Amino acid sequence: MFISKAEEKLVKRFILKRLFSGTIVVLFSVLFNFVIIRMAPGDPTRLLAGKDNPSPEMIAALREKYGLNKPVLEQFWIYLKQLAHGDFGYSYVSTAKVWDLIETRLGPTFLIALTGAVIALVLGTLLGVFAARKKGSKFDIFLCGISYFFDSTPSFWLGLMMILLFASILKWFPTYGMYSLRGNYTGIAKVLDLLRHMFLPVTTLVLIDIPYFFRIARSSVLQTMSEDFIMTLRATGMPEKKIFNKYVMRNAIIPTVTVFGITLAYMITGVSMIEIVFAWPGMGRLMLDSITRRDYPTLSAIYLMLSISVAVMTVVVDIVYAWIDPRIRIE
Amino acid sequence: MSLLEIKNVSINYHTNDKTVYAVQDVSLTVEEEDSVGIVGESGSGKSTLAMGILRLLPENIIETSGEALLNGEDIFTMSTEELQKVRWTQMSVVFQKAMNALSPVHRIGKQMEDIYRVHYPDEPKENITKRIYDLLKLVNLSDRVYMSYPHELSGGMMQRVAIALALIFEPKLLIMDEATTALDVVTQTQILNEIMQLEKNMKIARIMITHDMSVVASTCKKVVVMYAGRVMEEGKVENVLVTPQHPYTKGLLNSFPSFTGEKTNLKGIEGNLPDMSIYPTGCVFADRCPFAKERCHKEIPQLKDYGDNWKVACFLKEEGGNINE
Amino acid sequence: MAKNKKNTFTKILKTINGNIQLKLGLIFLAILLFIAFFGPVFAPYNPYRLNDDLLMAPCAKYPLGTDNLGHDILSQILYGASTSLKIGFIAAMISAIIGVTLGGIAGFYGGWIDQLLNEVMNIFLMLPDFFLILMIIATFGSSMMNVMIVIGMTSWVGNARLMRAQAKAIKERTFIQSSFSMGESKASILVHHVLPNGIFPIIANTTMNISGAILTEAGLSFLGLGDPNVISWGQIITAGKAYLPKCWWICTFPGLMTIFTVLTFFLLGEGINRVLSPKMDANK
Repeated sequence: MFISKAEEKLVKRFILKRLFSGTIVVLFSVLFNFVIIRMAPGDPTRLLAGKDNPSPEMIAALREKYGLNKPVLEQFWIYLKQLAHGDFGYSYVSTAKVWDLIETRLGPTFLIALTGAVIALVLGTLLGVFAARKKGSKFDIFLCGISYFFDSTPSFWLGLMMILLFASILKWFPTYGMYSLRGNYTGIAKVLDLLRHMFLPVTTLVLIDIPYFFRIARSSVLQTMSEDFIMTLRATGMPEKKIFNKYVMRNAIIPTVTVFGITLAYMITGVSMIEIVFAWPGMGRLMLDSITRRDYPTLSAIYLMLSISVAVMTVVVDIVYAWIDPRIRIE
Repeated sequence: MSLLEIKNVSINYHTNDKTVYAVQDVSLTVEEEDSVGIVGESGSGKSTLAMGILRLLPENIIETSGEALLNGEDIFTMSTEELQKVRWTQMSVVFQKAMNALSPVHRIGKQMEDIYRVHYPDEPKENITKRIYDLLKLVNLSDRVYMSYPHELSGGMMQRVAIALALIFEPKLLIMDEATTALDVVTQTQILNEIMQLEKNMKIARIMITHDMSVVASTCKKVVVMYAGRVMEEGKVENVLVTPQHPYTKGLLNSFPSFTGEKTNLKGIEGNLPDMSIYPTGCVFADRCPFAKERCHKEIPQLKDYGDNWKVACFLKEEGGNINE
Repeated sequence: MAKNKKNTFTKILKTINGNIQLKLGLIFLAILLFIAFFGPVFAPYNPYRLNDDLLMAPCAKYPLGTDNLGHDILSQILYGASTSLKIGFIAAMISAIIGVTLGGIAGFYGGWIDQLLNEVMNIFLMLPDFFLILMIIATFGSSMMNVMIVIGMTSWVGNARLMRAQAKAIKERTFIQSSFSMGESKASILVHHVLPNGIFPIIANTTMNISGAILTEAGLSFLGLGDPNVISWGQIITAGKAYLPKCWWICTFPGLMTIFTVLTFFLLGEGINRVLSPKMDANK
């Protein structure tokens, strides 16, 4: 795409500004983590140790490590330095390094989250565009009604209903885990086994996410079709098909991209509840365990990771947005 | 044969529970190289009439009757293909909101190129580009506009773009729907002067839809005064705007500063537009007319020709009265 | 005068009738309020009573069955209605108050105050709010009060943005300008003119926020972070999870009630939005 010098400058400034906002958000989250552990009821050493009765040596070591005897500002500096080294502390449950715990869970989570988000994006957008073209038809009204329904449904409940339907009545798909425990499949059989296990969690996620994409696609197509320039193009004798495919779609796609980016950013929280329902070995399970055991180091690390990924995704979305919508470059 | 002949056109909108009689029984002729101003307040049906002729109204909620003959062919009964063929090649339009006249996310030159290809799909690219650069020059825009996005230009510049776009195929008829209303007076005057020069060179006829009497006075040969969907008075500008024969025309003229610079006569017309969803039983202007008599509420006055193509729909005139006395 | 009143009334009725979302939303809301207020009267049992029949399927004695401790599900659902509504309303109100105040100040005063508040809004918008809520509740305890306050404090940005835009637009209108020239103070203009004029979109958004808060509470309950001292639908579902698929009734009915409640406020919000922007109405 051709971009002039002046435009390039504007884009650069825009990106810098967004990066700045993103950095502030991350810093804010770090500060929040720092504060919440110190504000929590009880002794912060206990929270940091991840044990109810840490030994005196351990307490001393922790006090030394986190500088708990030093002024608050210095403590914060120490905390920042540790984070910069990727040191999130130790988990309560397994005394393993928190980062190691998270690392093994990320893969399975991304697997269903991304699969679900992409399928929901494609289906939701297609249905939305279709509904907009047939505005007011029975099909449109039906889809709008359904989208309200799934929008109001708690994801975990929908997951439970899936289990109910497929475990007791249809028995088509496994309802928990990622692989069959006794299967010991290899090669293609293993992939198929994985796909079968993915089916229910992904379907649940898709059903929950579709309404967003559906509504955004439908309303932005309708919005674009009511713009004045569509009238101009019609008056020139341009065929409706071309107006729609080239001009309406290009204008209407912009909000969809934003929503998709935001969905991706929040996908870990979104998918967590569903993972828990289907006993999927991802971040959701880790989150639930950390909550029930009040494993603060792990929770805090998940939270930090989440804020960073949201901040990064938001900045990425904004940059993509600036690229596909020339108007934003002006600001 | 006239370029455009509108015969007894009525346009009704159907909404959920009512029918709006937006345009009623309008007839009008535009000759080649003519310039016709259609004036009236907002809601007078003038824009609906223009959009109706262009067949740009949502066809599922409107009902059109009458004929609109473009070079003898009725636009209303054309098939979609026939319609697509005459659009822009024979009649083009410039809308009020020029800022929104083109897609905000496509470069202006590319859009003009696309529009060119609607009618000449096989034209080589360099010919099209050259044509567009020529057009931009014609409306006093720099070449850089080709690569610009609409939001990067000012309102006046976008209006020029819209005009350039309208002239791309040198159509016989140009419709300007409040095209200069949003501009400041200086830019408006400039653009109007350029337009008049261009249409003289290209032999284009123009319909000018506006609520601004002074624009009509300075740029049109003929004027049609509309009120509540009906034509009140029409004729040559030098007749109608100097010695108006219809009370509404007179009221409308009084609500604008006079062209000679006097700004003393700024009288509005009292009252509001009638409810357009009720089919009128008498003259639509009767409720606001200072001369209204019993008959005006009971019968609908017809347009009558009083010579020199000067037509008035008023019982007072019909009965030999004169509002200017 | 009486005729005028009647006209307004018929006008309102006409608006409601022509707006399916608003109409359904209002009917549903009436049902919900009825359940919340009179539910306890109709409940066949004390919801805390441990009946002798454990995990009973729906039958004449227990219309919606019982859970693993012998609680009557129908009674629990009826009592749980007020919990959901309370959390939804109060959390949404908190978020409305914060949002309107900050947004109003930002839009009305402008300048560096606006820039600062706008940056704060941007930050809050980028925070992963559900996890933030979850962290705070896990740290400070899961009382209903905490849940409401935290949800309210993390969901105000939408309101603030709406109010900011409204305040900016209204500030430019002539009647405000004339109040300025008549010597009215900025704060007084803000309270007396800007707020009442800009409040309608906030009402629509707040209605939607009620839905959001109810869903958030359900999610927290599912993670074991619900208030153990109240009956909530989310907690009934969580308790029933272990008995799926055999004892389907424990999870199914409170879930349906949650959907019904959330749907009600979604519809109301959409309906109000449609009344506010007739342009979108034409799209319908």
